[in-house]
Amino acid sequence: MHNGILYLVTQDIREALLPIAGSEIIVNLTIMALGIALMFGLVTGSALIFTLLERKVCAFIQVRIGPNRVGPGGTLQSLADMLKLMSKEDIVPQGIDMWLWVLSPALIFVPSALIYAMFPFDDGVIFADVNIGLFLILAITSQSVLPFLMGGYASNSKYAMIGGMRTVAQMLAYEVPMVFALMGVVMLTGSLKMSAIVEAQTDVWFVVLQPLAFLIFMVAALVESNRPPFNIVEGESEIIAGPFTEYTGMRWALFFLAEFANLLSISIMTTTLFLGGWHGPEFLPGMVWFAIKVMIMVLVYQWIGWTFPRLRIDHMLTFGWKVLLPIALVNVLLTGIGIYVFNWL
Amino acid sequence: MAQTEHYILNMGPQHPSTHGVLRVKVELDGERIVHCTPVMGYLHRGIEKLMESRTYTQCVPFTDRLDYVSSMNNNWAFCGAVEKLAGIEVPERAEYIRVICAELNRIASHQVFIGSLLIDLGAATGMIYAFRDREKVLDLFNIICGARMTCHYIRIGGVIKDAQDEFLKETQKFVDYVPQMLQEYDNLFTGNEIFMERLKGTSIITKEDALRFNMSGPNIRASGHEYDIRKIDSYGVYDRFDFQVPTGTKGDNWDRYRIRFEEIRESARIIQQALDSIPAGPYMAKVPKVLKPAKGDVYHRVENTRGELGFYIVSDGTTKPYRVHIHRPSFINLQALDTMCKGLLLADAVAAYATVDPLMGEVDC
Amino acid sequence: MWGKGLIEGMRVTWKHFWGKKETVYYPEEKLPMTERFRGGHLVLDEKKCIGCKLCAMGCPNAAIEVTVEVDENKKRHPVKYVHDLGRCLYCDLCIEACPSKCISWDKNYEAASYFKEDMKYDAVAECRGREKQ
Repeated sequence: MHNGILYLVTQDIREALLPIAGSEIIVNLTIMALGIALMFGLVTGSALIFTLLERKVCAFIQVRIGPNRVGPGGTLQSLADMLKLMSKEDIVPQGIDMWLWVLSPALIFVPSALIYAMFPFDDGVIFADVNIGLFLILAITSQSVLPFLMGGYASNSKYAMIGGMRTVAQMLAYEVPMVFALMGVVMLTGSLKMSAIVEAQTDVWFVVLQPLAFLIFMVAALVESNRPPFNIVEGESEIIAGPFTEYTGMRWALFFLAEFANLLSISIMTTTLFLGGWHGPEFLPGMVWFAIKVMIMVLVYQWIGWTFPRLRIDHMLTFGWKVLLPIALVNVLLTGIGIYVFNWL
Repeated sequence: MAQTEHYILNMGPQHPSTHGVLRVKVELDGERIVHCTPVMGYLHRGIEKLMESRTYTQCVPFTDRLDYVSSMNNNWAFCGAVEKLAGIEVPERAEYIRVICAELNRIASHQVFIGSLLIDLGAATGMIYAFRDREKVLDLFNIICGARMTCHYIRIGGVIKDAQDEFLKETQKFVDYVPQMLQEYDNLFTGNEIFMERLKGTSIITKEDALRFNMSGPNIRASGHEYDIRKIDSYGVYDRFDFQVPTGTKGDNWDRYRIRFEEIRESARIIQQALDSIPAGPYMAKVPKVLKPAKGDVYHRVENTRGELGFYIVSDGTTKPYRVHIHRPSFINLQALDTMCKGLLLADAVAAYATVDPLMGEVDC
Repeated sequence: MWGKGLIEGMRVTWKHFWGKKETVYYPEEKLPMTERFRGGHLVLDEKKCIGCKLCAMGCPNAAIEVTVEVDENKKRHPVKYVHDLGRCLYCDLCIEACPSKCISWDKNYEAASYFKEDMKYDAVAECRGREKQ
């Protein structure tokens, strides 16, 4: 199992460090810290790259050129945006609930970054390969509703309040079908461990065995991460920017970063759970296959987002409760029957 | 005991989807609309009053600024009124060029409508496509009169410059492109289920209500009342062309959208006929340099892209109008907003503003 | 079937994603202006101008201010021809009113400026500047 590139590199570092540090614990801690730094680098770095990617994809779809001024071909655009956001005045509106208001952008980043610990990037390259991995991921992602509500409530703005309320309704409605859709995957694997789920897809990807679950998961994932066409939390033509209406500068940028970190994490989840994770033909290492698949999923999600109009809140909730949930339940039933029949054969 | 109360949300004058500076006070019960009151006047420039101190010729560029996405129609309405007042006969060729320009303008304006409706529904891509195609019309205007939006092309007595062959050729090219363009819109969003669900059956205005509010243009036609000035009180040479007036049945957002969509097709047909039969000849009547219409008053109306645009001009025999009153369709159509939005969701209100298609330059005048 | 329109829409955007782009790199690449384009500064031909002030009178927004001098031959010459771009409607009425056809547009559409004062310019001075070159 332990044969990935990153694992070998880690071994090298471990061997190099051991004589210097002397103690096994210190070496482990150092490597852990390095890993966490790497993780955060990945999350924020990907957010920066995806900002540019999103703008380029949107521009190409809209027959435009897109950002092309900063750096060669506009590649440094998101850095420039970052600098601009940092230099902006930090406006604190009147009559806000200061504690909640300040905490909200900080907290929103926590669940988005935390779930990366459970993602298997390659064979053996996983931070916390806990035996309830998938369950933990779902539990953590559902936490992201709270900062939205906090921000919306604390902002002392009607638009933000509506946005906060919408978040709760939306996230709750789609949490359930998503969990039931993933149930099929868990039933096939017989484990909640992320590495085991990927391992189970060695022969055949779950997208083939669970096409319904795949579609439901895609929709639910879009909703959970507030991507268009389900971005009613922001709903820029109705409620300006929802919970982020009153935030400026870096505070706003944190919401923004979290959004793109979520985009990456839903792509990773789709890849891991349905598209076989790091599996792929031998000529490329697993990590590269994983990255390619994730990138394709990111593009697909952006493509969907830039094609459709936004749904209305009641349509969306109806769709979640009355369409997706029954289908997900039927999928669980079918999977159960399928497994039974397969075993019987 | 839990208590709920309505709250007032101010949408606008600075809001992403208010089409300029419309302010709507929305009384909300959760996300349901109880009342919505449009508040106007943020773009008031006093054009009616300004016209009183300008000569008739100088008044024309101000009409560009009324409904700034269909300036050709506005020019025509004012010039038609003055021509009626002064008894000026417009040459044949000028009438044809006017029809071509006005219909091109109708297409451009409906594309703005489609674009802004889509952006209000959150489909930015569709909006860009609509504006990309509108650009083609604006480029045509740039060829014929040197301006893209504030055309100031149709003048008292005809048109200011002759339509070049280049313009006619390019217009033909555009007319040929229209079916393909509409097909693309159909593929991208008319057939889109999310789009249909958002629009169908929302913000219904019945025929009776529409008549009661004195609505006009595509908005009343969507409610099933065939009311088109080009047909019922034909002006210019519209009676020579064969075209249909599309009408809706229910008067919901979807009908208002479809009608404008079909009108683009009909406009293209009119332009095609006009291009085929455009006569040669003068393009401007003999108009005295100092125009002094006789004492009297006149009302002239045209089918603007938003409805019945009328100019009521009182002349006291001098070079300047004594009083000008503008019957603005957007202003009147906007009054129906409250009836339309009652009991709907906030997101529907946004769609309703977009389908009523008010233009603040015209509403506030 | 529900969902057919969604797929169709995605096909359209897919096609455009790879298709030709309609916009241009603006400051480097400029679109040509048409022959009849109205905009920019007024190009005054000082020699041809007879100082009749019809342009200023024809202007609906009083954007033009002409100061005229009568020389020893009883001929009228413009001394100052102040055009206020901030007031200008670009309606073309001044050019149409000119009996000697001495004004035209320079078709420069990049007329934005940082200060309101920069919106005013003297067409006579500009004309002399051109002649010097």
